[in-house]
Amino acid sequence: MPVSEYLEDKSIAEFLSEVRESCRQIQKKYSPFITLPNKFEPPKKGKLFGLPVSVKDCICTKGLRTTAGSKILSNYVPPFNSTAVERIKKAGGVIIGKTTQDEFGFGTFSTNCAYEIPKNPYDPQRSCGGSSGGAACLVSAADFPHIALAESTGGSISCPASFTGTVGLTPTYGRVSRWGLISYSNSMDKIGPIGKSVYDVALMLSIISGYDPKDPTSLKTKKQDFRKYLKAEVKGVKLGVPKEYFGEGVDEEIKKLVWKGIKRLESLGATYEEISLPYTKYSLPAFYIIALSEASTNLAKFCGMRYGLHKKLEGNFVEYFSKVRAVGFGEEAKRRIILGTFARMAGFRKKYYLKALKVRTKIIRDFKKAFKEFEVLAAPTMPVIAPRFDQIERLEPIQQYMMDILTVAPNLAGIPMISIPCGFVKGLPVGLHLMGNHLEEGKILQVAYTFEQNEKNEG
Amino acid sequence: MKVKIGIECHVQLTTKSKLFCPCSTDYRNKKPNENTCVICLGFPGSKPKVNKTAIDYGIKMALALNCDISKRMFFSRKQYLYPDMSKNWQISQYEIPLATNGYLEILDKGKGKGKKIRIRRVHLEEDPARLIHIGGDITKAKYVLVDYNRSGIPLCEIVTEPDFESPKEVRIFLNELATILEYLGVFDRNLEGSLRVDANISLEGGERIEVKNISGFKYVERALNFEILRQKKLIESGKVVKRETRHFDPSSGVTMSLRKKEMEAEYGYITETDLPEIVISDQWINQLKKQIPELPHQKQLRFIEKYGLDPRTAKVLVANRELADFFEGVAKEVEPTQAATWVKDRLKKILNYHGLELSETKLKPTHMIQLLNLLKSKQITHRSARRILRELVRNPRSPKEIAIELGLIRIEDKALIKNAIKRVIKTEKKAVLDYKSGKEKAFHFLVGKVMEKLRGRADPGLVRAILKRRLRN
Repeated sequence: MPVSEYLEDKSIAEFLSEVRESCRQIQKKYSPFITLPNKFEPPKKGKLFGLPVSVKDCICTKGLRTTAGSKILSNYVPPFNSTAVERIKKAGGVIIGKTTQDEFGFGTFSTNCAYEIPKNPYDPQRSCGGSSGGAACLVSAADFPHIALAESTGGSISCPASFTGTVGLTPTYGRVSRWGLISYSNSMDKIGPIGKSVYDVALMLSIISGYDPKDPTSLKTKKQDFRKYLKAEVKGVKLGVPKEYFGEGVDEEIKKLVWKGIKRLESLGATYEEISLPYTKYSLPAFYIIALSEASTNLAKFCGMRYGLHKKLEGNFVEYFSKVRAVGFGEEAKRRIILGTFARMAGFRKKYYLKALKVRTKIIRDFKKAFKEFEVLAAPTMPVIAPRFDQIERLEPIQQYMMDILTVAPNLAGIPMISIPCGFVKGLPVGLHLMGNHLEEGKILQVAYTFEQNEKNEG
Repeated sequence: MKVKIGIECHVQLTTKSKLFCPCSTDYRNKKPNENTCVICLGFPGSKPKVNKTAIDYGIKMALALNCDISKRMFFSRKQYLYPDMSKNWQISQYEIPLATNGYLEILDKGKGKGKKIRIRRVHLEEDPARLIHIGGDITKAKYVLVDYNRSGIPLCEIVTEPDFESPKEVRIFLNELATILEYLGVFDRNLEGSLRVDANISLEGGERIEVKNISGFKYVERALNFEILRQKKLIESGKVVKRETRHFDPSSGVTMSLRKKEMEAEYGYITETDLPEIVISDQWINQLKKQIPELPHQKQLRFIEKYGLDPRTAKVLVANRELADFFEGVAKEVEPTQAATWVKDRLKKILNYHGLELSETKLKPTHMIQLLNLLKSKQITHRSARRILRELVRNPRSPKEIAIELGLIRIEDKALIKNAIKRVIKTEKKAVLDYKSGKEKAFHFLVGKVMEKLRGRADPGLVRAILKRRLRN
């Protein structure tokens, strides 16, 4: 092959154009994208070698429309890249599009979306989960190599991974820089990967993690290659099984499957013990009060004027921004702004916002206590399998919120967690949730990898 | 009537960059919205990052104001929707400010005694954008233009207890505060808009009126005086003063009621969770303590003791740190009272005339020492000395050189003097006759004419002596 031909790197260009065509087909069937660009930017030289990566639409991509699933940003093109995307590009990744989500992360089924609602490839009448529904949908449906960049505040990586039979890794809070992430709840937002296998998410975490001076909440951890933890070895690993996570609200069939998974790990050399996390029952209200209080301030930014949706400039400021926000926000966003504003108003602030912060400390202590004795906690990821869209429509908002019961506590505490497929109920995937102590991604990756490899060998 | 005033003053810190982003603090005279970035414009996905120097400055201020400094502090979101806040929240401090519980002593010269003004809290926050009201002021404008160049400039807010009993006390306090802050090197009162005051006033234990956003020293006393008068009139005519927020209009000198605003604006404070908690260690504080110079009050006392200056002179000298340092340099070799006069009266006058800060000239104490030595040795007259000083400010070099250049070296050559006297006697025949017939005034007139001829460069004493002898003959 002549040098000039080699340098032209046509193979990557061809590959990417095939990927694009696949994406177009998948979009027609399952709608995972909000923005699917006509052409992909060619990759830089790096260890990802042009690997396709999709990005959840709340993560800023320079020059590529970023909406966070909302109408209020329908025309917004960021002038800068988020750090995570910057690192992916630097490593040779190719951004193939922006995936759909619940508006600003407000939801568990990706149905609170101002754009296309993603459909579960296992059953298109059912939800992909949320809020990173589009990301998980694409991972599940794509047969080309691909890893999705997603985000979790209360379980938005774990939930869709569980519903779509994919692997979702939520890193320790602060492990990945939030520079460029459109905030939902600043003290709980985490960027993380969704992939087809544990290897994929371990690889992606290695690329995007590490200290970023632009984000003061990012942890000063050294860059490491998390693939080094991918050993099929769990001998002596102590698993804690929190009994509160197997309560009445969880589907019996799901509980059975998850216990089967735990027993399987035991057969491979791990030990387990049932434990109690007593503050679990307060985790849902604590989460929602804190998240919504923070979100109601974060969303105050969006008032027209500087970027995003704009309306005719008439009347005073209040009249102007009210017009923009009335039209630009969906119903769930409005609901959460009102709830969040209420919880931090003078006269209620102490009872709700400040109290929730104190409860959060108790929840963190529950986990820290458990991790003194146990290395990994195991539980179901979601209490149900992916619901049908008509079922979702009949749910009251509070019932929707309660779906997060198993994921909010670890998200509140900022500990790392991974959801891996552990079987099917009624033909729909079920996720096993493995949670680790702060900065122990290595440990949960190892256990997850062992489980996955064993499952592969069995099946 | 008994007056109670408390103030909240916002001072802009003279750091190089803004409080939460790397934009420059040199925002004046820039095109609108040129001095901005995604952080101070509040773009989605942007995160603030604290400017450590701003905290250093804040800690120094807290130390100079005798405050208790918080060991651990964090920032809060003060949330309200208004076009001057690019995020529609201001990063400020609520529950745990930088410092609390301090005081500043002011001296009311009229009353002759000192008074402690208690400081409730000192905290850091970001400056909002500038709103330019087109077609009137805040109550009458047709539309408003927003300039975010100022958005994010570091502010230190100082809140006092309502310890003031008169607008004059407030003015004295602000001057004292500004001088201290300039000594610390954290503030510059000459920057437009660098000091803004909100005042709370109540009369006879009545309702509190808040007067917002009084910009600059000179307006504070005026605004407060007007407001007191207004309230007095209401009370005297039997009306009730209702609690409200007012705005001071500098062009008309009156305060006006702002359009219906909630009394206790609903800020819904939460923690600023994009910024971690900051631990202020004793080590950090001690390091900064070492950097705090002798403060104005201490310097004033020292000047009185060391140089034998009277309190008023000392006070004027210490009001400007550069001038005080310059004075001390001169006082090393020149008699202190003379040095004080030349620095605080003559030099200061020239600087004020040209609108210059001492540091903007290259003038050194040695220049003035040499000048005053020339004066002492009578090689130049007082008048010449002042002339030379003007030139020194403009272009500092050897005063003797300047004196020679300008032909100001005192003429001691008796031959030259005699010559000039001869010429004057010849031309001023009438005056000579008047003198000879006993009119003393004529003598002075002749001296004047001789000095004129010699362009004021001669020693008047010498001229008088020689002239008298001449005229006797």
